[in-house]
Amino acid sequence: MQFQNMAALAAAGALALAATGPAAAQAPFANVGKQVDISILINSSPWFGGFEKIVDLYEKQTGNKVKLDVTPYGGMLEKGRNAVRAGTSPYDILNLDALWTIEFYEGGFLKPLAEIDPTFALPAEVLTFEDSNYWNAQQRWRTRDGGQLMGYSPNGNIHVLYYRDDLLKAAGLEPPKTWDDVAAICQKLHRPPGMYGFITRGEKGNPIRYDWTPFMQGAGASIVRAPKDGDYTVTINSPQALQALDRYISLQKSCAPPNVGVLGQGDVIQLLATGTAAQGLAVIAAWPTFDDRQRSAVVGKINTVVVPAFPGRNPGVAIGNWVFAVPKNIPAERQRAAIAFSNWFLTAPAQRAYAEGGGIPVRSDTFASDLASRPEFRWMKAYIDSQPFARQELGYAEGAQVEAVLGLRLNQALVGEMSPARALNTAAREIEAIFQRGGRRTGQLTPLPE
Amino acid sequence: MISEFANRTFKHWSLWPCLGFLLALSVYPVLQLIPMALSTIEFADGRSVWSFTPRRNLDLLLGDEVLRDAVVNTLFFVGLSVAIEMVLGFFAALFVACMPRGRTIACTVLILPILLPGVAIGSMWKLMYNYNFGLFNQVAGVLGIEPINWLGDTQWALLSVVIVDVWHWTPFVFLILYAAIESLPQEVLEAARIDGASAWQTIRLIILPLLGPALAVAAVFRAITAFKAFDQVYLLTSGGPGTSTELLSLHLNRVFFEQNQIGYGSMLSLAIIAVISASILVARWTSAHLERGDRAGAGR
Repeated sequence: MQFQNMAALAAAGALALAATGPAAAQAPFANVGKQVDISILINSSPWFGGFEKIVDLYEKQTGNKVKLDVTPYGGMLEKGRNAVRAGTSPYDILNLDALWTIEFYEGGFLKPLAEIDPTFALPAEVLTFEDSNYWNAQQRWRTRDGGQLMGYSPNGNIHVLYYRDDLLKAAGLEPPKTWDDVAAICQKLHRPPGMYGFITRGEKGNPIRYDWTPFMQGAGASIVRAPKDGDYTVTINSPQALQALDRYISLQKSCAPPNVGVLGQGDVIQLLATGTAAQGLAVIAAWPTFDDRQRSAVVGKINTVVVPAFPGRNPGVAIGNWVFAVPKNIPAERQRAAIAFSNWFLTAPAQRAYAEGGGIPVRSDTFASDLASRPEFRWMKAYIDSQPFARQELGYAEGAQVEAVLGLRLNQALVGEMSPARALNTAAREIEAIFQRGGRRTGQLTPLPE
Repeated sequence: MISEFANRTFKHWSLWPCLGFLLALSVYPVLQLIPMALSTIEFADGRSVWSFTPRRNLDLLLGDEVLRDAVVNTLFFVGLSVAIEMVLGFFAALFVACMPRGRTIACTVLILPILLPGVAIGSMWKLMYNYNFGLFNQVAGVLGIEPINWLGDTQWALLSVVIVDVWHWTPFVFLILYAAIESLPQEVLEAARIDGASAWQTIRLIILPLLGPALAVAAVFRAITAFKAFDQVYLLTSGGPGTSTELLSLHLNRVFFEQNQIGYGSMLSLAIIAVISASILVARWTSAHLERGDRAGAGR
């Protein structure tokens, strides 16, 4: 975990100790003055509802106008690319999946925030999710050490384990702490097709790569040895990675629906919200659905815990955050207006309002406030407890290609087209080739016995 | 003098604007692919940086394991879906043409699927195929049949996608063949009836040969659009599970857009265009060859 996140949590802790929750709530919103209209490219993900409400509040408070281009996840990257490669971007703030940020940082398409407003700085309480919003061009790495501030997270997605509190209590079971616990709970509650013991995404591509990552990290495995230090030796075919994949597959095969190979985020949320799953690994952004009476049959019945761990190990928590960034190819007044919105959005009261509207705030003091003790925010404890274990993956230029390889080979292992060992060996060979083409210092481990 | 020359050559130069338009919209983009296919394209300082790497892109093309699966799947998908659509479309057209009344209503109902956008069709069928809540498995449950893993089983996934394509595009074949059947010379059909030909003989020996050109047009059009199928498959399976429904169009999208490999994506596009062009040329040559054979046979 990065220093800034630790500092942010420490700051939040100090605030909590000083019982400044109400005081924080009274802190003023930023006065940003009159600004030109801005346009934001934003995804129609589950947390969008909360963001839409906070934008409404911004418009009411400041009189400034914000146009939202709400786009499904699948169209976000191309819209962002087209915007920054055009003469003038139609958007003043781009919401980028942290995985895509490298392409935009390296391509020189974004304006470092300090170049727009030299006084702009992230409040100490803002979580930075392993510095995914900084870019060190020389090191080609996302770090504040020698890096420039390129944006900030409007949503810090991480995995949590959702579980049916009512069912576990009725069965006399404790919330799971390890994957063995998950399997044991599954064994007791799995009654398909009315109730699946455990679900998570298995769909090819980003879904399976991302949802398998907590298993991989939790087992002590990694994709690459030390990319930050320039060592791109591929380690995905390690015995630990195989253990992680075996565990993931065994849980999916014994606890999830048979169509797990195409199970996407919508399906996982649907199964949990319809009361058809007892446990599910999903991103925190899914939470607003479960307590929404219009969309959920399990209001008040779902709770969250930190992602389960392998025995004797720390849990693996994969970060999948978003980054708000300002394109270079827009007029200066629009860049300033984007910064003005950012200043306002990152204040404590705005973040509180964001959380109350159904968003996932990015200030640690929001999690340490009185909100956390309210039943509707019962997810906050798991979220903040997860932060020390949260890690980024694929933070290099070849990330998208590596994800494509893993997303396919893991899915093939899940649906039985390949054995887990062969899938990992194949992925290792293909990822090594990608790094070789990129001129990286690479290699791979001795292949696993197939 | 000038006026006479203009009149004489009008038929040639009046085509130039159309030709220019055609070149600008179809040939230029393809030509543009060539330098891209020979390069690696990256971005720095907000600009594209090209480096000449034809060998690299060719190596990627030849070593692409997923591409092989995509080619096999695409051929299977095109072959099976077009074959079923041709058969169903033909019999639907024949059936409607024989209806004594209600043809307009039948035609309207039958062409509804081609009026729907692929995205709506993909979403609708994805819901119907849903393992837990889908219509098909609900019906199967009522009938006491085990639920089928339509989209999540590698054995079923491509067939499920073919079924959707058949539902979507059979009306297109129907429309073409229905129009062709309606314009068949009635005296030939009348003569067959008087000569005592059975219904099957009339279809096999009279209608099908006369429909030859319309059948060819429908099959070629359908094969071309099936080859380009993207939206429905993307929504239904995204090419999974595994590579079981990975089609060329999906793979190209993945390489070009998800992985941002512009150079290799262009090389892949050129290869696909080359293969399609070669297939069209072979088909035309075969067709011309067969026609010559037919004429020679008729002459003897």
